[in-house]
Amino acid sequence: MLDKNAIGRASPPTLNEVEKGAIRRFAEAIGDYNPIYYDEEYARASGYPTIIAPPTFPASFHSAADLRELLGVGIKSLLHAEQGFDYERPIFAGDRIYVSTRVADVSERQGMSGKMDIAVIEDEGRDEEGNLVFRARRTLVVRAAKETP
Amino acid sequence: MPARKLYFESIRVGDELPALAKAPVDRVQLSRYAGASGDFNPVHVDEIYAKSVGMPSVYAPGMLVMGMLGQLISDWARGGQMRRYNVRFIKMVWPGDTVVCKGRVSNRHGTGGRYYVEIDLWAENQRGELVMKGSAQIQLFYSLEDENRQRSGQAPLVIEVPRESLAPPAPTTASSPASSPGDVPSASDEDDEDDEASDERRGGATSKKTAPREKPAAKTATLPSARKAKK
Repeated sequence: MLDKNAIGRASPPTLNEVEKGAIRRFAEAIGDYNPIYYDEEYARASGYPTIIAPPTFPASFHSAADLRELLGVGIKSLLHAEQGFDYERPIFAGDRIYVSTRVADVSERQGMSGKMDIAVIEDEGRDEEGNLVFRARRTLVVRAAKETP
Repeated sequence: MPARKLYFESIRVGDELPALAKAPVDRVQLSRYAGASGDFNPVHVDEIYAKSVGMPSVYAPGMLVMGMLGQLISDWARGGQMRRYNVRFIKMVWPGDTVVCKGRVSNRHGTGGRYYVEIDLWAENQRGELVMKGSAQIQLFYSLEDENRQRSGQAPLVIEVPRESLAPPAPTTASSPASSPGDVPSASDEDDEDDEASDERRGGATSKKTAPREKPAAKTATLPSARKAKK
């Protein structure tokens, strides 16, 4: 069972600068050639100030979070079970976004092969004025390295 | 030239998104995604490592497949703004697998000049097995007129559109795909991500909104209900 005290533990915000090349490479890796991710003019004609990032782009952001520290356990394996995003606005090339990570929940669920430890990790991205840009939630099935007494 | 845009007025509950068949996943793509996302977990890029931990090969990160399903939405909802996007990973995607992304409008409503559609989403592999399912909420302009007004700084077009929902699919097809061994444990037991929406969906189900289901999808068996039969 993971330590309930981990809930609320958070990492300090880390700056992520959204670069055009990074957006392009991310969209290419998905195989998504929508010009809105590549072509400045097209993006403007579509009503945006510049090119935007694909919806799952926050997956590429860095945060100072170390899951082992946040959860307080050594981790043997992690399984990504669910992912969610809430968006306040699109992410644009040139954005400077501060990302912080927090343990939103830890719990135990009955799985098909016994009890599983579940951790819900929430990332929050804010712009330089402090306005919320997105929230991301990962639900992870955590196998700790050692049983904690 | 920008592509045609999608407006709220032309969307109906039950509309199906044009299916998106992605090119087969290969190891080069897994490397590219690792580089682009910064996630270098060796189970996705190092064949020798993956085998050493008991996997038959490297496999695609769930986030790559979520990205593919995201493409389905943004290809369809051009001009719309994604507000929410949730998925559950169900089955692993291996090199050589072909992911087919599908979706259907499950809900639409508008109030106070803001218009939203909700979409049920799912992805299948080449064997028709469900690998991922989820939902998204998109905000759209009501019409070209609404967009022109808002872009010129005027108030939005306000048309009250009561919530319309798909009736929840009958819980008869028990082909819940999350049951083969080795799958991601479906953490579905009691997940109440969106109680508000589900209540409203249930409310909507009592109205006559069963009509859009007349089109039986070829693969009804794998059509994921937004929520499983819930008691």
